[in-house]
Amino acid sequence: MDDALAAENLRVIRTLMERSAVYRRALAPVSLATGGLGLASGAVGWFLGLDTVAGFVGFWMAAAVIASGMSLAIVRRQALGDREAFWSPPTRRVAEALLPPLLVGLVCGSAVLLGGGATQGLVWWLPAVWMVLYGCAIHAAGFFVPRGMRRLGWIFVGTGCALPLLVDLGPFTGKIPPLSEAHLIMAAAFGGLHMAYGIYLSITEQRKSAA
Amino acid sequence: MNPEPFLQLDRTIHEKGRLAIMSLLAASPSLLYTELRDTLRMTDGNATAHLRTLHEAGYVAVTKSLEGGRSATTYSLTETGRTAFAGYVSLLEQIVAQTRRSDA
Repeated sequence: MDDALAAENLRVIRTLMERSAVYRRALAPVSLATGGLGLASGAVGWFLGLDTVAGFVGFWMAAAVIASGMSLAIVRRQALGDREAFWSPPTRRVAEALLPPLLVGLVCGSAVLLGGGATQGLVWWLPAVWMVLYGCAIHAAGFFVPRGMRRLGWIFVGTGCALPLLVDLGPFTGKIPPLSEAHLIMAAAFGGLHMAYGIYLSITEQRKSAA
Repeated sequence: MNPEPFLQLDRTIHEKGRLAIMSLLAASPSLLYTELRDTLRMTDGNATAHLRTLHEAGYVAVTKSLEGGRSATTYSLTETGRTAFAGYVSLLEQIVAQTRRSDA
């Protein structure tokens, strides 16, 4: 065995270990599509003036379901294009990491939607809770993804934590902002942050390909 | 060049198919038989033979379970297997480093 074969064996080992452990689907298209949907949903919600509790919560839960379906479809198409299994071990691990916080977010939204009697003040906390939970989800998934996803998770968590401080939910003025304004906050977070992350990934991926 | 590292390479791991299986298992807590076979695009006969050899060498552990009414066979590296794999990689690195030194 010569040194070239030893080096080749090491390269094969590294490639196979990455294939087993690291999620390798391109995330830029997923992030851009999710960001586009978030921005469009925010604009539609604000334009239509969906400011009832059921309207706001139902609208954004539907947007989340559509975003999830769209992301899965993009990932599946990429896997088929690469002639690899869609439900690969890294995909399964990413899904397992995402699931618990997303499930809690779904339960919180469903409880407000189906429980009835929720005040607008209470519903105003949902965007913050959703942002924190979503941040936790993608931070956990980021352990299997090499492209700065954990940082995005922290940004969501930070934005969610800061939101109740930035938006006066009544304790100072006694006046709760209309829910239509919450659509803009949802658009800025779930649309804007995803869009920015998608653009970052696209640019860095192009640079990497060019190098 | 010192031939020592060449002679120490673990022959059980050194075979291409078994090296690929060990590499996948080294980066994952456990993998289903089908995941191993499909990722490496091996035939059933090939994958089974390599896994049996690794199991007999004490490098992989086998767990059989029922998932959704179907039997599932899961493989993972044993401590012995992990140590042997780390040793194998370390020897390859020594070989490459030794050649770089003699080239310099």
